[in-house]
Amino acid sequence: MMHRLDVQPGECLDRRQVLNFSFEGRNYQGYAGDTLSSALAAAGVAYLARSFKYHRPRGILSFANHDSNTLLQVDGVPNVRGDVTLLREGMRVSAINTFGGLAHDKARVLDRFARLLPVGFYYKAFHSKRLFAVWERMFRALTGLGEVNLGAAREATPKRYGFCDVLVIGAGPSGLSAALAAAENGAQVALVDESLTPAGNGAPAALLDAVHASNAITHFPATVAAGYYADHWVALASATHMTKMRAKAVVFATGVIAQPAVFRNNDLPGVMLAAGAARLLAHYGVAPGRRVVFIAANLEAYLHCLEFHARGVPIAAIVELRAAPDDHAAVTACAAAGISVLPAHAPYEAICGPDGAVAALLVAPLNVAGQIDAGATRRLECDAILMSVGWAAAAQLFLQAGGSTRFLDALQQFVPQELPSGIFAAGRLNGVYDIDARLADGRRAGSQAAAHAGFGAPSSAVIARSKRCPSHPFPIIDHPRGKNFVDFDEDLQVKDLENAAQEGFDSSELLKRYSTVGMGPSQGKHSNMNALRILARYRGIGVEALGLTTSRPMYHPVPMKLLAGRSFYPERRTPVDAQHAAWGAVWMAAGNWRRPEYYAVSGESRAESIDAEVHAVRGAVGIIDVGTLGKIEVHGPDAAELLDRVYAGRYSDLKVGMTRYGLMLDESGVIIDDGVIARLGEQLFYFTTTTGGSATVFRELLRLNALWGLDCALMNVTGHRAAFNFAGPFSREILQGLTDIDLRDEAFPYLAVRSGKVAGTAVRLMRVGFVGELGYEIHMAAGNAVEVWQALCASGKPKGLRPFGVEAQRVLRLEKGHFIVGQDTDGLTDPYEANAMWAVAMKKPFFVGQRSLRILQARGPRQKLMGIELAAATPLPKECHLVIEQDAIAGRVTSVTHSRTLNRSIGLAMLSPALAEIGRDIRIRVDDGAMLAARVVAAPFYDPKNLRQRVDFRS
Amino acid sequence: MKVMVCPLNGPRPVSEFAYGGEIRTSPNPDTCSDAEWSAYVFNRSGSPGAKYEWWCHIASGFWFAVLRDTTRDVVVATYPAEAVRCGLTPLPAGGASA
Amino acid sequence: MPYRLLRFGLSRKHPEARMFTHHDSMRTSYDVVIIGAGGHGLAAAYYLARDHGIRNVAVLEKGYLGGGNTGRNTTIIRSNYLTSEGVKFYDESLRLWQDLAVDFDLNLFYSKRGHYTLAHTDSAMRTMRWRAEVNKHYGVRSEAVDAAFVKQGIPTIDMSCGGHAPILGALFHEPGAIARHDAVAWGYGRGADRRGVEIHQQTEVTGIRVQGGRVVGVDTSRGSIATPKVLCAVAGFTPRILDMVDLHTPIYVHPLQAMVSEPVKPWLDPIIVSGSLHVYVSQTARGELVMGASLDPYELHSTRPTLDFVEGLTSHMLDMFPFLSEVKVNRQWAGLADMTPDFAPIMGVTPVEGFFLDAGWGTWGFKATPVCGKTMSHTVATGRNHPLIEGFTFKRFADYRLTGEKGAASVGH
Repeated sequence: MMHRLDVQPGECLDRRQVLNFSFEGRNYQGYAGDTLSSALAAAGVAYLARSFKYHRPRGILSFANHDSNTLLQVDGVPNVRGDVTLLREGMRVSAINTFGGLAHDKARVLDRFARLLPVGFYYKAFHSKRLFAVWERMFRALTGLGEVNLGAAREATPKRYGFCDVLVIGAGPSGLSAALAAAENGAQVALVDESLTPAGNGAPAALLDAVHASNAITHFPATVAAGYYADHWVALASATHMTKMRAKAVVFATGVIAQPAVFRNNDLPGVMLAAGAARLLAHYGVAPGRRVVFIAANLEAYLHCLEFHARGVPIAAIVELRAAPDDHAAVTACAAAGISVLPAHAPYEAICGPDGAVAALLVAPLNVAGQIDAGATRRLECDAILMSVGWAAAAQLFLQAGGSTRFLDALQQFVPQELPSGIFAAGRLNGVYDIDARLADGRRAGSQAAAHAGFGAPSSAVIARSKRCPSHPFPIIDHPRGKNFVDFDEDLQVKDLENAAQEGFDSSELLKRYSTVGMGPSQGKHSNMNALRILARYRGIGVEALGLTTSRPMYHPVPMKLLAGRSFYPERRTPVDAQHAAWGAVWMAAGNWRRPEYYAVSGESRAESIDAEVHAVRGAVGIIDVGTLGKIEVHGPDAAELLDRVYAGRYSDLKVGMTRYGLMLDESGVIIDDGVIARLGEQLFYFTTTTGGSATVFRELLRLNALWGLDCALMNVTGHRAAFNFAGPFSREILQGLTDIDLRDEAFPYLAVRSGKVAGTAVRLMRVGFVGELGYEIHMAAGNAVEVWQALCASGKPKGLRPFGVEAQRVLRLEKGHFIVGQDTDGLTDPYEANAMWAVAMKKPFFVGQRSLRILQARGPRQKLMGIELAAATPLPKECHLVIEQDAIAGRVTSVTHSRTLNRSIGLAMLSPALAEIGRDIRIRVDDGAMLAARVVAAPFYDPKNLRQRVDFRS
Repeated sequence: MKVMVCPLNGPRPVSEFAYGGEIRTSPNPDTCSDAEWSAYVFNRSGSPGAKYEWWCHIASGFWFAVLRDTTRDVVVATYPAEAVRCGLTPLPAGGASA
Repeated sequence: MPYRLLRFGLSRKHPEARMFTHHDSMRTSYDVVIIGAGGHGLAAAYYLARDHGIRNVAVLEKGYLGGGNTGRNTTIIRSNYLTSEGVKFYDESLRLWQDLAVDFDLNLFYSKRGHYTLAHTDSAMRTMRWRAEVNKHYGVRSEAVDAAFVKQGIPTIDMSCGGHAPILGALFHEPGAIARHDAVAWGYGRGADRRGVEIHQQTEVTGIRVQGGRVVGVDTSRGSIATPKVLCAVAGFTPRILDMVDLHTPIYVHPLQAMVSEPVKPWLDPIIVSGSLHVYVSQTARGELVMGASLDPYELHSTRPTLDFVEGLTSHMLDMFPFLSEVKVNRQWAGLADMTPDFAPIMGVTPVEGFFLDAGWGTWGFKATPVCGKTMSHTVATGRNHPLIEGFTFKRFADYRLTGEKGAASVGH
């Protein structure tokens, strides 16, 4: 049983500070510096979790977050890594995915049915049509890990940007020496390590001191390099924030990951990786047990053994898989300490004690061919089994960086083969194991990385790989009764992988997908290597021939809050936003902008307000903020030529002081935008685009101008300039009182543009008719817009002025029969279909979309945009209700409204050509399936002769 | 994140740029057939390889040409837009791996 | 515990045969060669053998079975499209999906969960109604629903989306489903294999031989084979195959990324899509949240992941579901999407006789797997386009008769 020892030299605990916490409802104490796992281990808690599939008890395995045995629910947060999460006062901790608590988990019965649950069993049954839903509910209840607290608030964490010359990932001996060498060459270095405890991993103290003394090295402790992205852009995740690090070169000193031996019941609590147990002992003063057996297949086992022995942990035996241990002083020292070694033996089965943890280990002789003599087992009493049989390269990030690896039989490890530009590897990842060699390899890589970043000359040292093999080629022991686990996350046994291969999933990728090996939270860190060995044996080929599955971020799973950071949404407001609010604006989104949908007036319903706004424009005067429209200026001798080419209309013959509608097409002849183009001078045009299209239209014009090399320049003044449409029968006389511009019809005809002043502010005035009344679009510098707005409102109010919003404008323009690009047109509508050929000058030599229009003309329209009218008493259809003809879809209502002005319901509809005749009766299907009768009519509906544009017109 | 070296603004993160598609030469609209024109309008050279592309540095509104290997996402060279008008060096048919 | 699992308990040896026969060598000729052992290619092989009696078929795969977009998508199955052509086609697919697991005797975890396409703007609401109306016309269960309906169906969602994009309503598509994507390929693969089709993995097509405008054979990394008919079903690799027969299409390739969270206990029943926030998300039977967003912004033929993608997607996820702040992202990946300008596929016969195309599957191909198999097997067997794919022909671009399906893309691209 695990227990806490007296103070250990170099431990990370502050034993004066006791922290109280609870686990599964019971109270425990730990020390400041403890992780959840170490505190629970110290308290003698035998197991921390139930396994994913069979609900077997599980305890600490790697103590490094390389398995999911210690995922916990902490204060409502699911899947907290017990191994690497610091204990805090008052934490409430529980196990995840249990039914009735950890000890009495009802789902533990599944362990007894393991034989009925072969690999992929869920593909093989449960799919009867009748019962699938029932089974599915059961599966969904059984799977999943921790529980999300649906009441938790969003946490917005900061993001930081980091820049360095050399990023070193891993602060073990090779990483530290790489960082120091790069710094000494003059590079700015960032050094990242995920461990909570002071890094070093056996590095000389002098090196640690020198690294910490260097001003050129920035430390990122307790930080995971979560993913490598293009151009040396690395996501560094700490507990509180993400740093996006841009490096000029990266040194991967990511080391190796301890791998378990695979034998029956190797998942019992008390069976641990020796490297993890050693950290638990040295840093947290927790002994793994009172009678420890080592399973050894490398030198590290003996080094660990001596360490445990020195700290007073009794060692029962070393079970050595190899015929003989290394010829090394550590081995001799173990013998001298009286520790018995059983060479050529293998663990055959761990025996479970009454507390659910390990009580003994059956071992059996292993012959040279790797065959076990199961008839000659012997029992070693023990309460802990520590495994040191081999390593897997922590090559995940290196592979993400585009590196390639090859498998070295001599080392039984994948090592880097090809390194992309600016990518370096060092230390055990490179297959360099002895401490001096790791230091030298780090210096070499650090120097080369610094040189790549432009600092100093690269080292030409060649560091030899380890001569001893640190990993056993096949630390996997078959057992007729199985439960020899390869993947602890997914509860996969040896036979599961063999059976998957037998079913045809015999490549590493297919094996992963069918068996789910490596797909759990630890992403195969402790399982992929052994799974490859099992597959290689099954197929009778070498591991090299199989290769690794693709490595993807995240290296360790990263909370969404760190990746999301703080939400950032730019919201644009026009300069008279506060004035809208004062009028009672009800907002709607228009791209990034917010616009008044209408202005609420107390005592009026929404519909009444919109009606009143329409009425004000038709009968008196109204004002709408149209400042969200894109606004572009084009200057230069070729300005007219540019517009002639990008718009379907002709602008070279537009007189100075006049405006003209502009329709923009794409190369295929589809309508993509529209606006009004004003000629302010021979070489100066000012024009508008739709609100949504402003950025893309401007950008496309820049591109075409760059392509054609015309002598003109474009300026996007959307944000610089505000714009209002001031419209209604009283608009002229009110505006005349505020401006020096002569508004008389002969001086300022319909569609003219003039410059001058309104309320003392320089403006451009355009006489436009979008809403169908006498009206002026007033464009001015954004900084002066408030004064102009207030002056217009003040002068207009006695005449009945109301500001009007987007909804009223939609009614007004619909009465006038104007279409809205994107609402009345769709992604395939051409000007023939939209009845907009009046805005197209086909005779021009060239414009974008012209050639396609010729083809489209020959093809004929597939649909036509037509006016429709419903009888006054008919309920209103909704936009996008369908027109049905002989039970087939024959069109769609694109806009519809009830016009109080006209006292009828009107709309636009995109109709099949057969229906697109004036006077044709059509039927519209509405929500409840009822059919409404409507008739195709001519648009505009209101003032078809445009009489209201006459200044002297009075209704 | 990728870094794009803009001829005007120097190295900047690729998120500051808009991709404008492959640089393609239009046939003469007055003389080409309908089939040639529709092929120009709709068809793309979809295979990977080295391609000339339009890119725009959004904040400065600067369009330029990029020779990019679309297999590995490696920018081989960049050119100002004048180079497009003057004619970019033709690539081997079917694109070439840079 | 179902009775059928008992045999695993009773048998000493694993009582299960190989799903896919291993073939040491290829024949010298086949009646049909299918390029691509993804869901689409294997489905076509399956129906060729089952429904058309054409069994002398080779499926060639340069990687491993189901390793392309079949195994990389976010597994959403729906038929709430916008065009008549699309709705009829995908609805037939949905109908076929219902019986697949029983046909295959393989549990595909086809799980009807309901599908919400959220609308955050009034123009999006209009599109939702358009789709709902077209869907209902063809008997597809879709409704444009209001905010209250959304809140009731997804009680955990923040209806204001962090105050940034209030939800006005949605298109609710009751039949929307998810399935275990890999298993679909395996099911079709095993079914085809048992009917005599040969599946050759690790076999790359290096050329297609055409004589007098007709296909006569295929060159591969393992040698040449003769065949009069080739079906190309290779998604993001389509342009490379088209180059071999000198055909040109509008297809362009951008990566599409996705990511998955750690498993958590089930809390999300339906499938949620938000075009404005560029998110789609569902929770699998394992408890993982599978999440996707819009296409990568530029052409690339590599499945490298980006950090921008996870940053943007997690941010939008937390706008909708703020309580997921501590839930961890486990893994991200990408596939290569073969996009078309009208977001509809390109299917059927081509100007090269004997060369058939099943391509342009962009971001929307998984759900169509069964109907593609059905219609393409018919088209290959008869040499004439199946009526259901008439809206998706190769020649529609030259004719300026596009099938405007962009409005039904899950998220804006």
